[in-house]
Parts: sequence; structure tokens; C-alpha cells
Amino acid sequence: MGLRLDVQKRTEDYPKWLPAATSVGAVLLAFVFSGLILLSVGADPIRIYSFFWTASFGSWGAVSDVIVKATPLLLIGLACAFAFKMKLWNIGAEGQFYMGAFFASMVILLPMVDLEATPKVLVLGLMMLMGMLGGALYGFIPGILRAKYNINEVITTLMLNYIAVFWNNYWIFGKYSDAGFQMTKMFPKIAWLPRLSDFAKQYKGFSGITLHLGVIFGLIAAVIVWLILYKSRWGYKITLIGDNPKAAKYAGLNITRNIVLVFMFSGALAGLAGMAEVSGVVHRLQERISTNYGFSGVIIAWLAKLNPFAVILVSVLFGALIVAGREIQPSGVSFLIQGIILFLVISSDVLLKYTIRVVRTDKNGEIVQAKSAAVEEAE
Amino acid sequence: MKNKLVLITSLVLVLAMLLSACQTATPAPTAAPAEPAAPAAVDCSAATASEAVGTYQVPAPIEGCYNVAWVYVGPHDDGGWSQSHDVGRMWVQDNLKDVHTAYVENVAEGTDAEQVTRSLARKGFDVIFTTSFGFMDATETVANEFPDIDFIHVSGYKTNQANFGNLMGAMEDIKYFAGILAGSRAMKDGNPKIGYMATFPIPEELRLGNAFALGVQKTCPECKIDVRFINTWHDPILEQEGAKSLFDAGAQIVMTGADTPAPAIAAPEGKWGITYDYSGNCTLPTCLTSMYWNWGPIYGKIVEGSRAGTWKGTWDYFDGDSGGLGLLGFMEGETMQPGVAELPAEDLQMVKDLIAKMLAGEFTRFDVFKGPITDNKGNQVLADGVSLEQLDLDGFKQFGSECKTCMYWWNENVTAELPDL
Amino acid sequence: MTLQETTNEALAVEMKDITLRFPGVLANDHVNFTLRKGEIHALLGENGAGKSTLMNVLMGLYKPNSGTIIVNGKHVSFGSPKDAIASGIGMVHQHFMLVPNQTVTENILIGLDEPKFVLNIKKYDQKVRELAEQFGIQIDPTAQIWQLSVGEQQRVEILKILYHGAQILIMDEPTAVLAPQEAAELIETLRGMARQGKSVIFISHKLNEVCAVADRLTILRKGRATAEGISVEGITREALASLMVGREVIFNLQKKDQAPGEVVLELQEVSAVNNKNLPALRKVNLCLKEGEILGIAGVAGNGQSELVEVITGLRECTGHILLEGKEIANKSPQASISAGLAHIPEDRIGVGTAPNLSLTKNVIMKSYDHAPISNAWRVNYTAAGVHAEELKNQYKIQAPSIETQARKLSGGNLQKLILARELSSKPRLIVAMQPTRGLDVGAIEAVLDLLLEERSKGSAILLVSEDLEELLSLSDRVAVMYEGEIVGVMDQKEADINTIGLMMIGSLRGDPACPPAETRTQPTDLNEQGAE
Repeated sequence: MGLRLDVQKRTEDYPKWLPAATSVGAVLLAFVFSGLILLSVGADPIRIYSFFWTASFGSWGAVSDVIVKATPLLLIGLACAFAFKMKLWNIGAEGQFYMGAFFASMVILLPMVDLEATPKVLVLGLMMLMGMLGGALYGFIPGILRAKYNINEVITTLMLNYIAVFWNNYWIFGKYSDAGFQMTKMFPKIAWLPRLSDFAKQYKGFSGITLHLGVIFGLIAAVIVWLILYKSRWGYKITLIGDNPKAAKYAGLNITRNIVLVFMFSGALAGLAGMAEVSGVVHRLQERISTNYGFSGVIIAWLAKLNPFAVILVSVLFGALIVAGREIQPSGVSFLIQGIILFLVISSDVLLKYTIRVVRTDKNGEIVQAKSAAVEEAE
Repeated sequence: MKNKLVLITSLVLVLAMLLSACQTATPAPTAAPAEPAAPAAVDCSAATASEAVGTYQVPAPIEGCYNVAWVYVGPHDDGGWSQSHDVGRMWVQDNLKDVHTAYVENVAEGTDAEQVTRSLARKGFDVIFTTSFGFMDATETVANEFPDIDFIHVSGYKTNQANFGNLMGAMEDIKYFAGILAGSRAMKDGNPKIGYMATFPIPEELRLGNAFALGVQKTCPECKIDVRFINTWHDPILEQEGAKSLFDAGAQIVMTGADTPAPAIAAPEGKWGITYDYSGNCTLPTCLTSMYWNWGPIYGKIVEGSRAGTWKGTWDYFDGDSGGLGLLGFMEGETMQPGVAELPAEDLQMVKDLIAKMLAGEFTRFDVFKGPITDNKGNQVLADGVSLEQLDLDGFKQFGSECKTCMYWWNENVTAELPDL
Repeated sequence: MTLQETTNEALAVEMKDITLRFPGVLANDHVNFTLRKGEIHALLGENGAGKSTLMNVLMGLYKPNSGTIIVNGKHVSFGSPKDAIASGIGMVHQHFMLVPNQTVTENILIGLDEPKFVLNIKKYDQKVRELAEQFGIQIDPTAQIWQLSVGEQQRVEILKILYHGAQILIMDEPTAVLAPQEAAELIETLRGMARQGKSVIFISHKLNEVCAVADRLTILRKGRATAEGISVEGITREALASLMVGREVIFNLQKKDQAPGEVVLELQEVSAVNNKNLPALRKVNLCLKEGEILGIAGVAGNGQSELVEVITGLRECTGHILLEGKEIANKSPQASISAGLAHIPEDRIGVGTAPNLSLTKNVIMKSYDHAPISNAWRVNYTAAGVHAEELKNQYKIQAPSIETQARKLSGGNLQKLILARELSSKPRLIVAMQPTRGLDVGAIEAVLDLLLEERSKGSAILLVSEDLEELLSLSDRVAVMYEGEIVGVMDQKEADINTIGLMMIGSLRGDPACPPAETRTQPTDLNEQGAE
């Protein structure tokens, strides 16, 4: 007699709530595992987690910090989710982010327009367009390589990330360096996205609330991505190509063009994130404008199961994790948790493909009677 | 069976990852909170800080203490710049009464600096030090939002003449002394080639390089100094490659402008490295000396001034008499590295005398940069007896400085070209 | 009934009272199955009858809810296929599991514990060669898998199982992927193996080949055995069919005589190359009229696939292809579709559907971009759902709902889904490639009826099939392809299997499909010719 795990391939559709449940379960489990690790090094996980909460949502200022952090993650998470929907593994959001930041900065650095005479709204609009253009062009490269020559986009996008970072460095170390430092001069105020703290004179409560317009871009982008993926013809095409490119070709779709377009759209979102970060937060182009947003975006897209609205929630979660986690000294706790989340999210796909039940066995190891305790419920 | 294998493999992988994560998550021994300093009504040491969570801690002010926070660009135990500040922080914790200190490490310039600094201010710290050039604008922004808190940015130039000041010190004195030792060593070894591994083509790095070169000139007139820019402040691998390339090019001694003890590590037997920033990073026998920052007394003075309400945000450029600068082996209670101890006594004596004068305030940066100085193109930089002015020390005309002589020259014994601007 | 008649020593496998319940489905309902040593036992049934499930139970992939399994006299409970293989059972799946860039021998050695460290490939090549000779299997052990035809790859799979020491072979629809010639060879091989004492389970739903190959047969219908181990002798196809589908199958199709109308499709001097850049079509001329079914006969690989691909816009060619007078050669699949083409592809799962998408999303694959399914940019999924529900009812697609994923459908229902989508576009031309391959009797009938219905509505139908009987009973005219050429076209009434057979192997030439272009200027000529 004994108990045993019985693993069986799913013969039926999994219930609709299961993907969301596995994501939530993965996050919770990640906190449990991280807690054990923290415990093992003598830390108090409960107090750390309660601190996580107060440090990220305990005050309006903290909430604002979290959302500011979540803004690039949201746009990049959307960029990844969009490409992943067509099974294009765009790991290059980091590079597209840098290119978007670079192109947007060029509006100011060249400058492309007369910064004295042009209205702020036009300058910012042009920066947005250039940011998206930069990201889109940088997405075009792996897109065309994949579409025309079937070169694996995981490799190309990963490599292009480095090129983008060094391209950026080349300009900020060289031509646009501020007194030899690896950064450009600070942009004039006209190139700053409006933030709530700009209105601190009128409303005292806004002092230090750095929430900037970029978050609105992110929310609008989420709606647009949702409309495209779930409502539009293009979204239907993307889904179809993602599921079976041969069937899509047979149905008369132009696969090559769609690969390039999806890559460019994905790149444009990441590029917009780059623009929002330099114009909304950093206010100059410099070396460390991204703390691995491009890679966090991949985790976020997975955790959100590619659903644009879920990406909003997950990026806020990650923003909170980063904001709270970086206060814990020595640093690294939030990256530890992020890593464990990614690992568990990927592993949790097992639950979508298999059912796992606890069964009672007799002497010969034969199953006596199936106990219907799905593992995800046991969590 | 196959299905089970998938599950088991996943579990094993999870465990394996947890184990490896444990190792990286284990804080270094230095992270252990400092022992309580002096018994006080409120214990202000980090060990009992309200937000200390085991071996981890969260920066938070303690009621009844004077609370001071630091923002580091790198890890607090990076063996270089950030660690030198952390040593200073611990000095403040141990030597000042009723002061509580905390830090935030690994803060990215640009994206995170402003948020982290503001978060510390919101928590109610009384003094906040931000210790990387890239934090300057963020510090200024936050300082203007919190007029009751004193902000000190290290290694920049901006101030608001109220609650936001800037702080830097005359490391050129120490580099000059190190140059004297390097020249002496090169003479003893019979190899006149010396390397300088610089970080970025900025005035500071030219100033420090020239100070070193002037020192070398004192003991080794025929020595030549080669320069490599590595474009990083902290990159263990890149720094070692840079140092190695200088040694490969024939250098007998390599002096660094970056964080890690790379020159000492890369030095082949019989050759030497000189390290920078942190007094504890010169432990290898191939290391001659460390030119280090001793932030403790400087910070102590500022914190006391702030608590008394006498501190005002200015541009504070301290010199050797402040006690904020050190040359390993020559300060009180230190022993010389073997590679230095065996140098000719008169050279050592010269350094000792100069350091004594520096500590007494009789030898300053303006004595280091005093004519006659000729650049490596044969032009006279300074006539006999003329000193550089403060603006000249840290300015390039090309970047809009109003300096007169400016720091865009190499001393005559430097073989490198000037960097393109 | 047979259980009592045989002694246990003569049995290789004995499965008693096997029941397996999937959520909502009783896949096997108290099924008994026995396999004698040295026999070929056919397992017959429609798609979804539970044949594969029963065999997966035997292979240890599924655990039965109840029932016992005895292999060679021993009670067994396999936890995985590895246990089953250890007991001497091997299975050749429909989809081969071979590594294309490795040699035959290397593939056979995969999964074995030997060799431990050093691979002396020559020694193993020789072992494989000897084993192949023993069973009369022709194969070059040093050839790489990608160089082999489908039939040869199947032989590798069989050899692999034999090499792993199998006494019991399960062949899952082995002839579905084979050309007739190859199928005959396979049957010969299997018979030889049975003579040498191996036991073979032969899963199929092709009635005629079952009679040719098997000693006994077990028939499953909806999870239950309707015949348990009966001898094939004296059994009629009609009887088998009724055991399989539970009703008399009408093999005589309701095909009305009707006069073909206007020319719908015309191919003029069309040539194309295949994937290896070798000539696959040589100056093909064809014409096809309203209300006419033109059957394309030929041994597989003589240009039929390429012919379909150039018409459907998936392959480049020279010459002209006119659909309703509109040039569609070298345009795009989209151009062919909008000119009125419906295409029933050979590969239903790989090409015809998006397996993980819902029924709804599969039926709008070609109508998603115009009203009423979509407006300027948006897909109206409500309208799409209504459309899908209509088609599901009209074409009797068996599925829980229109939200069911396509991959959950059985082969026949999948084909109905494709037909529903393609035929609902009111096509002028239907190109159907092997539309009944791999389907059970009931589904075949449904598919053929649908095609005939389209014919009576006036669509032109190009039917490519390797099943000559089906082709002859359905087509109005039959064209034979040999090495990329149309070697003859004949009216169905004049056609006989012998003539077609000779043409298929290239030893006879008949009339051209259409007279050369210059003699076809008058439309009346066309009608006359077609009406003959």
C-alpha cells in the first residue's frame, strides 16, 4: 500500500482557468522557494515580504515609483507577447529598446528640429515616432533574416542586443559625450515627458511623484495590442501563422511579409519603451538606461500567457519586485525571485500538458483508486 | 515512465537551481552588521535597526538617531570605489555618537538613481551621500524636493548652495607620491617603462595621470609612461586585459585609475602594480601600494556639521590635510609592501616628508602642479614657480570650461597622444 | 468465444476485459483480444473506434481502468513502453520516429544500451544486414534516412523493432503511407515474419488489404469489440463493413449523368520542377469543365503533387493556367482562392488546418477577410461563430462545440471540416488531393457524396487519388500521369483498370487531355469533346 504520483498525458482540454492558475501558482511558489533560500542564509522571509508590500504599495510615492518602473516593462512585455503570439522568439527587445532610445534622442542631439521654436507636443511626438522607428528598424533586421533566409531569430536578436548596446556606447562615449563621461548632456525640458511632479507647484501632493506620460502610452499600447490580436484580421493572421504556417500559406497568407511586420511592430513597442525611458526618466542618453528590461519582458510575456491585459498586471508586479527588491541590502533578492519565477513558469507548462494526481497503490504497485487531487489545487 | 521522468527532471532542476542560487544569495562576511559602537539611549547601529531582517537589511531611519544613507553604484564590497565609501560609512557608524547609517548598493545610473535617492529621502534620512558621477542630476532633483535633508554628491560639480553640496578630494597628491615610488622602483629594476591604465578621457584622469608622471620624473627622469584608456570604472576582466597589454608592451609598473587590483594580479613576477581607491585591495606581493580614499573623517565632519546645522551645500574639494587621502604603507599604523620597503631610503624618506607636509597642509595639489612643467609636445605648460588654478585642474576648454591652462596636456614623460574629444 | 478454443501456450498476447475510460469517453469497453504466436491478426475499426487506444494500452502508454494483460503466459502491468519493449513488443507508428541525418544502422541502435563507448559501425552494419536478409527486407544499412523513400523508412522502423528483439509487432495503419506496390511488398514481408514465428498486429481500416494479409481479425466499434478473433476466411467485405460501421455501407454512389458545361480550368503547356529542382511537370495540357470530375491517376511521385501546387499557387511554373479565363499561374495562393478555387489538401493536419485553433477559427481561414465575417479591419467573431455553427450542422461535423480545437477531431471529422470550409465558399473549381486517404468507410462515403453534390451544383472538380476504384467510380474522365506528363485521358465509361495500369507504368499512351490550343478556338468544339 502506498501513495504515488500518477502522471498522465491530458486527453481533454485543460480548463480555461488553468493557465492563469499556473501563472499565479508559479509566482506564489517562487516566493515560497525564495523564502526558503532567504531563510537558509539567516534572513526573515516574512518580514522581507511584508517589507516588499510596504516598499512598493505603502505610499503614493512608492506606487508611483513602481508604475514608473513598470512602464518600460509593460511596453517591452507587450512587444514580446506580440511576437511570441506568432511563435517568433524575439529575445531582442533589449536591443530594440536601446535603438528606440537612440533614435528618439537623435531628435534632441542632432537636433532634428529647432528646439527653441518647436512646440513641446511636436518635439515629444517626433521623439515617439523616432523611438518607434528605431525599434521597428532594428526589428526589421532579424525579421527579414528569418523570413527570407530562415535564420533563427533567437540567435540574431540575442546578438543584436549587444550590437545595440555598443552602438549606443559608441555615440555617448564619443560624439555626444558630456565632458568625456559616458552620457550625453541632459535634454532640455522640452524633451521631457510631462510628469506629475511637474505640477507640484499647483498640487503639493504631486511633489516627487514622477509618474510620467509613458504609462499612458503603455496602457494605450496594451489596448491596441489586444484589439489587434483578438479582434482584428491581422491578429487572426498572426494566430493562424503562429499555429501552423503551412496552413496559413495554404490559406493565401503572405508569411514572409507578416514575419517582418510582426517583428517591426514588436520592435516599435520596445523602441517606444526606450523613448519613454530616456524622455520620461533618464532625460539623457547614457550607458545604463536599461536594467535588463528586455529580458524581464520575456518573463513577463510568459507569465501573462501572452495576454496584453495580463501583461499590465504582471509588469506592475515586476515593477514592485524591482523597486522593493533593490532596497534590500546586499542587493540581488529581486533578481533571485525573478529567476525562480521564470523557471517555474516554464516548468508549469507541464500541468497544461499532463494531469498529475495522487493515487493509492496496492502491494503490486497497482493503482487502487484514483484520488482526484490535481496538483495545482494542492499548491 | 517517460512522463514521470519529465517531472523528476524538472524537480531536480529546480533543486539544482535553488542550490546555486543559495550560493549567490549568501551575503559576503563583510555584510554582517557592525557591532554596536557606544551604548546610547537608542541603539543606532544597523544590527538593531528596525528593518534589519537577519543577514539582510533594509535602509530605514531610526527614531532618535541622526540617520545617514549612502547610495553606491557598485556592490558595497567591490574592492574599490564603492567599498572605500562603505569603509567611510562604517567609520561614521563607529565613531559618531547616535548616528545610524545605511546604504543601497548596485544602483544603476540613469534609470534607478533618482528613485532610490528619493525613496531614502521619503523615509526620512537626514543626510544622503550619492557616490557616483552619474547620480549628480538625480541628486539635485531630489534635493530640491526635500529642502530639510542634506544631500552630498561625490565626484561631481553641481551644488545649490543650500542643501545640496558636492565633494571631491585631491587624489593628485597621492598619485604624485605613488609616481615617486614608481620611478624609484623602475630605476632599481632598470626598466624605464611605466604604464598608466586610465578609465575615461576626462580631465580627472588626465590630471591624475599627469600628477603621477610628475612624481615619476622626480626619481626617474628617463622613465616614459604609456597610457591605455579602458572606458570603465569597474570591470575585473577588462581591467586585467588592459593591465596585461601594458605589461606585454614592456611596462615595469602599471598604475590604475579603475577599481580592482587588476594591475597587481596581471603583473608577472618581478613587475609591479599600483592599485586605487580602497586601502584593502593591495594585498598581493606584486602590489607596490594603494592610493586610497579615507572618506571616514570627511564624512564624519559633514555629518556633524549637518547635525549642528552649520553645513551648507558647497563645492568641497578637500586636500591631504583633511585626512581623507592615503598612500598604503605610509600612513599611521601601516606597513610597507615588500616591493616598496626595499627601495632606496632617500626616496622613501622623500615620500614620507612630503606626506607629513601634506597632512600639515603645507603641501597641496597646487604644489604638485607647479612650474616648470613642459608637455610632451615640447610646449611649456607652466613657467617656473607658477601653479595651476582650481579651474584648470578639472576643465577642458572643449567642453565649455572657463579654465585658462586647462587639463588637456600630457606631461613630457608621457608617450601617449592626447585623447580625441 | 475464441478464448476457450486456444491453449494459453499458443498465445502471444491475451488481453481480457480491457476497459479504459477517458473523461467523457469510454475508449475501450470490456474488450478481449488474443494474439496467437505466428499469426497476423488484423485490428479493424473506424477512426476513433479505440484501435490505437487498445494498442497503447498494450504498449504501456495508458493504464486500463480494469482488465488484465497476459504476455507469453505472464501477467504484466507495463508502466511505460520501455517495459513493453523489454517483454518483446514493438510498435511501428504511422509517423516514423527516425533521425534524418543518421544512417539506418545508427537509427536502429538508438535507444539500445550497446555499444557502450566505441561505435564500430561496420560491425553493426553487418548485423543489420544479416537481420534484414533473414526477414527478406531490402535495405542499405549505410544509407541516411533522408535518402530513403517512405516505404524504405518503414522497413527501417520494422528492422529497428526486430533488432530490439521484438516477438510481437504492432503495425499502426502501415499501408496508409505506402504506394500500392510498396504495400504489396510490406504484406509479403509481414507474412514471411509470421512464418518465422513472429506475431503481428495489423491495424487497418482498409477492408480489402485486411483480407489479403490477416489470419484472424478483431473488429472494434465505438470502443466495443463487434468481432473477436474471427477467421478471415469466407468473410465478405460487406459483412466486415457492417461490423465496422454498424450498417450496410452503400458502395454504389449516387452519381447522375449530366452534361459538363463551360470550361473552368485550363492548363496550357505547364511545366514545373520539384523541390530537388528536377522536372516534375512536362508541358501539361488539361481542361476541366463545369459539373465535371476529372480524376488524376498515377503512381505517387509522378507529378500529381506538383500539379496541384501550381494550380493552387503554391509552386512556380511556366505556361498558362486559366481559371475562368483568369491567369493564376505564378500568382499566389490568394490569387487562386479569389479566382474561385477550393483546395482539399492531402495533408489534413499539417496543411489543411491549424490544429490548436478552434473549429470557428479553422472554418474562417479563407473567409476571414471579407463580409460577413469581417469589416475593414475587424474579424466579427460572433458572425464567424454563427457561420461555424451552420457548417457544423450542415456537414455533420462531430465535435463538442465550435470552440473545440481542430486537433481533437477524428480524421473523418477533420476532413469534413476542411470540406465545409472549402465548399462553403461556393467554389468554381475544387482541387482535391487524396480526399479519402486514411478515412474510415463512413467518412469516405460522406466525403465522396459531398464531392458529387458539388458536381451536380456545377463545380469543376480535379480529383487526385491513388485509389483507382474510387477514382473510376467518381470521375467523369480520368487522366493518367506518368513522369510529369499526362499520358492519356479517357472517359469514365471507356476506362478500364488494365489500360490505366499500363499507362501508369508508362507503357501506353492515350489521347491528350485537351487538343492543342490552336485547334480549340471554338467553344462549341470544347463542349462536343466533353460531351462524348
